[in-house]
Amino acid sequence: MFIFTKMTQIPVKINNKNPKLASYILSQYGGPDGELGASLRYLSQRFAQTDKSGIALLTDIGTEELGHLEMVGSIVTQLTKGEGARSFDRYGVGDYYIDHANGVYPSSASGVPFSAAYLQSKADPIADIMEDMAAEQKARATYDNILRMSDDPDVTNVIRFLREREVVHFQRFGELLVKLQSKIK
Amino acid sequence: MENNRQITAQQLMKKLSEAMFYVNDLKLYLDTHPEDSRALRMFDEACKNSEACREAFEKRFYPLMACSSDCDKEWEWLVGVWPSQKMA
Repeated sequence: MFIFTKMTQIPVKINNKNPKLASYILSQYGGPDGELGASLRYLSQRFAQTDKSGIALLTDIGTEELGHLEMVGSIVTQLTKGEGARSFDRYGVGDYYIDHANGVYPSSASGVPFSAAYLQSKADPIADIMEDMAAEQKARATYDNILRMSDDPDVTNVIRFLREREVVHFQRFGELLVKLQSKIK
Repeated sequence: MENNRQITAQQLMKKLSEAMFYVNDLKLYLDTHPEDSRALRMFDEACKNSEACREAFEKRFYPLMACSSDCDKEWEWLVGVWPSQKMA
């Protein structure tokens, strides 16, 4: 089960407004390598895991990713809070405003709605963990792209933190893979 | 006075989030190294510290978990900064 705690892993406090940057960062909410896909991937795959370390790791990382989803949504909200139709339009994201206004909608930076086709669940521990390691690298690369676009320190501090977590998750999945492979032999 | 209070909330929240981060990172490590006795001791200590930090924050400011709400008069759970909001 999950019990909500009224805080984020690190505080999210964005002082400037920037609807364009928000629309880029939204990709880590509902895009192909975003946090929604990550949490759904791990929390779904864990049902087929038999190794206790595997079940625990997928549950714990999947839970942390749900927290990251919340942090990304919080960045997007704070970057657009109080901004109206004209501001979105001036920033070049008037189309997003027409469909969702100041709402946080799970979609990619290019506007594609979230899809479960971004992830797999194969009931094959090796195949699943290999996918998870690739997913962590793709998420890390997306955060790198966001860092190239952002010059707002309030935003980049949080994005750097989230990027670093992907690296740690990759490391832990790698250790799990070695453990699962040694059991096969 | 109000400003002072906010600075302290931020400071306590920083302490708490650092304590919880330590717990979380040790937890992931222990998932793949369940027999590391040094990490087990560190985890035990980290959990106690994190719990103490959370209680210190909740006692002074607002409930972070529903069951920490003071139910004497009103639904205190509504009070505080939700993750979509910016801490003042």
